[in-house]
Amino acid sequence: MRYRALAATILCLVTAAAPGATPADGARAAQFKRLPNWTGLWVTSVWQVGLSGRPSHGDQELLQTLQLIRPPPYNPEWNARYEAGVHDKAMMDARNATLKACTRSFPALMEAAWQFQVATLPEETLVVFENGQVRHVYTDGRPHPSGDDIWPTPLGDSIGHWEGDTLVIDTVARDSSEPLTPRAWVSMLSDSAHFTERVRLVDANTLEDKLRIDDPVAFTHPWDITLRYSRVTEMNRMIPTNCTENDRNPVVDGKIIITP
Amino acid sequence: MSKRPLYSWPSGRPLRWFALLVLGGFASATQAHHSSAMFDQQKSLTLNGTVRQFQWSNPHCWIQVTVNDASGPAEWSVEMGSPSQLFRAGWRPTILHAGEAVVVVVHPMRDGSKGGLFVSATHGDGTPIERPAK
Repeated sequence: MRYRALAATILCLVTAAAPGATPADGARAAQFKRLPNWTGLWVTSVWQVGLSGRPSHGDQELLQTLQLIRPPPYNPEWNARYEAGVHDKAMMDARNATLKACTRSFPALMEAAWQFQVATLPEETLVVFENGQVRHVYTDGRPHPSGDDIWPTPLGDSIGHWEGDTLVIDTVARDSSEPLTPRAWVSMLSDSAHFTERVRLVDANTLEDKLRIDDPVAFTHPWDITLRYSRVTEMNRMIPTNCTENDRNPVVDGKIIITP
Repeated sequence: MSKRPLYSWPSGRPLRWFALLVLGGFASATQAHHSSAMFDQQKSLTLNGTVRQFQWSNPHCWIQVTVNDASGPAEWSVEMGSPSQLFRAGWRPTILHAGEAVVVVVHPMRDGSKGGLFVSATHGDGTPIERPAK
């Protein structure tokens, strides 16, 4: 708290002293003062990644800790489809043998292993991931776009507001052709899926995202999930990731290989 | 017979859905780039060789290891995590050098090709691979 107050004071002094500063600048500085400080690098708490780039404790532990891979609370119609997919081992094996994923749709992005930074501005909060994906959460009081100003996208459209130190995010218009996560190919949502997140700092090194997925077409009731993130302490800068620089894993004849 | 839901979460039988996920093929984690189904993670293979090249690159870093066996020298490709992941674990681009002896343990490729997933590594004399003290 001391650092936040100090930063806001410095910002106010700089703003007030700057040539051409307006009362609006001062008001914006006051808005900054009320925002929580979530700076630093964060990464999901469920992934303990080693030098292999794979889960340090193996896939089995990971499967027990991932939230979005669990069966959603489907109604009977959607559950029948889900069960048919889960039991289609040939399809599962084929998908598994060729699966490559360099981006995630929402909400899977929030449970990916990529590190991210959070920039809280008065007008919006940006969640910037090391793979280059960015969530824009507009907090300037605007509604979601309407009519033909909005269409389904992998991350959907997000607006938010602050309740004390908690950021409440409302997301709609997620592209329903994407599975819920790359590891749960048969977990689908409808176009009516609506997401509410409550993001807050639990302690100095833990960020929490309480996610509610409401899908009146597919679910019997809303699905509540809690995602947690740990502060990355081993490095102090983001090192970008991409899949194009030296991709030696093409898919050939239905399987991923290693090129020499 | 009463019909019970196959899944119950968060109460009930939490392991039931987990068993189904594993049997259904959800087991192969896609950490960053691709599925791990190509690697046989039930097997470990030890490569005694020399570093031909250490590739510090996205989406994976690679150790190219030359191994001499009965049929002569052969090059193996050892897949690691991304630079971000290696950096976080204390590795740097200069931590390995061409020509130095290494012992690398891998989960080998299922298709028998000369590649594998990194498990662990030491210098040829068994000492840990670490950054030199500044």
